[in-house]
Amino acid sequence: MLRNKLVLIVVALSYLFLVLFIPASTVFYEAFHRGINAFVAATTSREFLQAVKMTIIIAAIAVPLNTFFGLCAAWVIARNQFRGRALLISIIDLPFSVSPVVAGLMLILLYGRNGWFGNWLEIAGIKVIFALPGMVIATLFVTLPFVAREVIPVLEEMGSEQEEAARTLGASDWQIFWRVILPNIRWGLLYGVLLTNARAMGEFGAIAVVSGGIIGKTATLPIFVEQAYKNYQTEAAFGAAVCLGLLAAVTLILKEILERRTAIASK
Amino acid sequence: MNQITLHQFQPRKSQKWWTKISLPWTVTVSYLSLILLLPIAALISKSLTLENAEFWQIASSPIALSAYEVTFITALIASLINGVMGTLVAWVLIRYEFPGRKIIDAAVDLPFALPTSVAGLALATAYSDKGLIGQFFAPFGIKIAFTRLGIFVAMLLISLPFVVRTLQPVLQEMERELEEAAWSLGASQLQTFWRVILPPLIPPILTGIALGFSRAVGEYGSVVLVAANIPFQDLIAPVLVFQKLEQYDYAGATVIGTVMLLLSLVLLLGINFLQQWGRRYAQK
Amino acid sequence: MIPKQRRFAGLMLAGIVLSGAIASCASSDRSDKAIKLTLVSYAVTQSAYEQIIPQFVEEWEEKTGQTVEFAQSYGGSGSQTRAVIDGLEADVVALALALDTQKIVEAGLIEAGWEEELPNDSIVHKSVAAIVTRDDKLKLNNWADLARDDVQVITANPKTSGGARWNFLAFWGSVTQAGGSEQQAANFVAKVLKNVPVLPKDARESSDVFYKQGQGNVLINYENEVILANKKGEKLPYFVPTDYNISIDNPVAVVDANVDKHGTREVAEAFVQYLYTPAAQREFAKVGFRPVNETVAAEFSAQYPRIDKLFTAKDLGGWQQIQTKFFDDGAVFDKLLAEVGK
Repeated sequence: MLRNKLVLIVVALSYLFLVLFIPASTVFYEAFHRGINAFVAATTSREFLQAVKMTIIIAAIAVPLNTFFGLCAAWVIARNQFRGRALLISIIDLPFSVSPVVAGLMLILLYGRNGWFGNWLEIAGIKVIFALPGMVIATLFVTLPFVAREVIPVLEEMGSEQEEAARTLGASDWQIFWRVILPNIRWGLLYGVLLTNARAMGEFGAIAVVSGGIIGKTATLPIFVEQAYKNYQTEAAFGAAVCLGLLAAVTLILKEILERRTAIASK
Repeated sequence: MNQITLHQFQPRKSQKWWTKISLPWTVTVSYLSLILLLPIAALISKSLTLENAEFWQIASSPIALSAYEVTFITALIASLINGVMGTLVAWVLIRYEFPGRKIIDAAVDLPFALPTSVAGLALATAYSDKGLIGQFFAPFGIKIAFTRLGIFVAMLLISLPFVVRTLQPVLQEMERELEEAAWSLGASQLQTFWRVILPPLIPPILTGIALGFSRAVGEYGSVVLVAANIPFQDLIAPVLVFQKLEQYDYAGATVIGTVMLLLSLVLLLGINFLQQWGRRYAQK
Repeated sequence: MIPKQRRFAGLMLAGIVLSGAIASCASSDRSDKAIKLTLVSYAVTQSAYEQIIPQFVEEWEEKTGQTVEFAQSYGGSGSQTRAVIDGLEADVVALALALDTQKIVEAGLIEAGWEEELPNDSIVHKSVAAIVTRDDKLKLNNWADLARDDVQVITANPKTSGGARWNFLAFWGSVTQAGGSEQQAANFVAKVLKNVPVLPKDARESSDVFYKQGQGNVLINYENEVILANKKGEKLPYFVPTDYNISIDNPVAVVDANVDKHGTREVAEAFVQYLYTPAAQREFAKVGFRPVNETVAAEFSAQYPRIDKLFTAKDLGGWQQIQTKFFDDGAVFDKLLAEVGK
């Protein structure tokens, strides 16, 4: 038993090292091999801070919206048997298989100068593409599936008995959601939000198409990375990449807190 | 965005049939239409501005066919391997305690948080002939970066979090009593695994594979950096789309985009039907 | 049921209003007095413009008392062109090749005849193609050596990179300009393409694949990119073929539709004129571009070997013809690549 456990751990870890950790370590190496000063200089520039701000604003809008949608969609799919259920799930999956560049192109075709709504927006004086709204929509698009897809399996695994029991006892929908469903799906929901957030912050392709990459204005961190790299500012580029990794780790601290709390609550 | 709010405020004035449709349904349908279906409609309608013959000529040109093949086959293999390895990783992370577990757990999300171009650079550095990993393969004549194998590794990396993260919550909620009961009734380890542990895990594993697969199919940023991008060898479809865009060939780009969309939809439908069937099977 | 729905809807609405509010905050700038000028250019020019812009801003303020604020965007030339066509409101575009500027003309944003509005056919800086070799043992003397069997050439993909289109034209022109036939040119380029193990997306990536990833033993790139890479510590021997070479001409233009909309024509035109002053030209030369100003060119002549026979895109038929003949789907490049790819 113990031997099995060791073998499993070793195999899993070697795989992670081979595919993930060793490649990722080169990012840290590039960021720090010329000392911490280059890294500090790169990460305190005005352009960099503005890029951080943009990245956080976009994530702060996109993550809650997609979480809300994801919960609704997961409930619809897990609690109802209907024709076209597999089709609906597959449609929700689609944003991943759409190449980010194509996703950006779609939005250009809709809201760009020559797009479907281009004229109306121009008349109304609303800027969508090459401004924050377009970047938010692009982020919503590429991160759409996460929450729904993480919550569905947990909802299905949980079954609907508890909800029905609560309903017969006279609980309202709202109470059922907060008291029965939420505690049960919390892990799935959490992982969904984590992934949404990580991807929302790290997305490059789709954002690059709709942001215009104006330095200090519409550049997000991934765009900053690209621009710095193309400009031979290697430390700045990889430093920013490290920061992105850390930003995503912030959400993991939230997970840790949640884990502790539930551990206390269940005692 | 305004459309959603309109939909939801109309019922106040006139109580019609749509008040009977529950809120989750309304949100799901309207949000999907606005964020997902509308852009897809724009893509498809743009690709249809071409004549039928022209559409088919672009969609089935030899270079496009080879690009679909490279993209879909490599993505399928990569997501299947991650189906197995991801399950193992999730299992180890949830069930076993070992030093550094939390940090490793946290790092699983890295492939998402790192911009894809950075991930691509990192892979190219590690897997090139002189790289940390590539140097061990080079003596055997195995070239990884700048070949199809490079694409495969990139797809493994970017689709890794899906299986792990879909499986983790289910594993966390799974009651260990069942396993223990099976144990105490004298089932062997292997029997317990196949009969008790695995069946409820199959739906989430398939979900993870489906998601990882579709992500791998659409991936552009990292693959373009670890592949040589030579047509008929390792040129993937998203790179082809990008090339067409750079030539201002919007219509051509949307044609390849549409074909990829439809192919992915068919494959996703397949996996999702399989998953539904697996779930029913598991419940019996 | 209904009240709860309303509450949900209310929450949703609040979210949307909030996002809208943040959006409008982020896009409205504080300083109202300053004139805003948007410059859209391609990646490698950034280090030069970072020096030139403050100088211009200072000079303009002295002259007119107005403050100019620049918004700058850098990226692949093709992507930047697309962005401007799709509504990125650039006042000035400085792209890698005239073909890209021409696309903006076709979209109706720049008036035809833009080449005549500035000195030197609106070409603001130039470059040529350079050949970098991995070590001194590999002796290459001219373009023809690229077809040798012991050579592995790294060059970006002409389909995605403006720079690589110049490289391709250099290969082609080295034959046709020396009196060779089109067929001979095609044979030569096919041999070179056979020696290509990787086709990176753009000039910068091809540098990376060559220097960092150690692929190939010969790199073809812009002279300016090679000089810049040298300055950043990638020291490998390189040479510029001086018998025949392509003149890589980088144009600048004012986007008429946008400056009229913003009321920035005066300052935009002053800015592009400023780019031709010795001060600005010197900054371009520092990052490796060949200046178009004679005096500055003389100052930097040590850095730039003289080319005997320099040919331009015009000598090869002009951009429209080059694009359809070489780079469109199924054109010469695709055919040659398919020939060697199979």
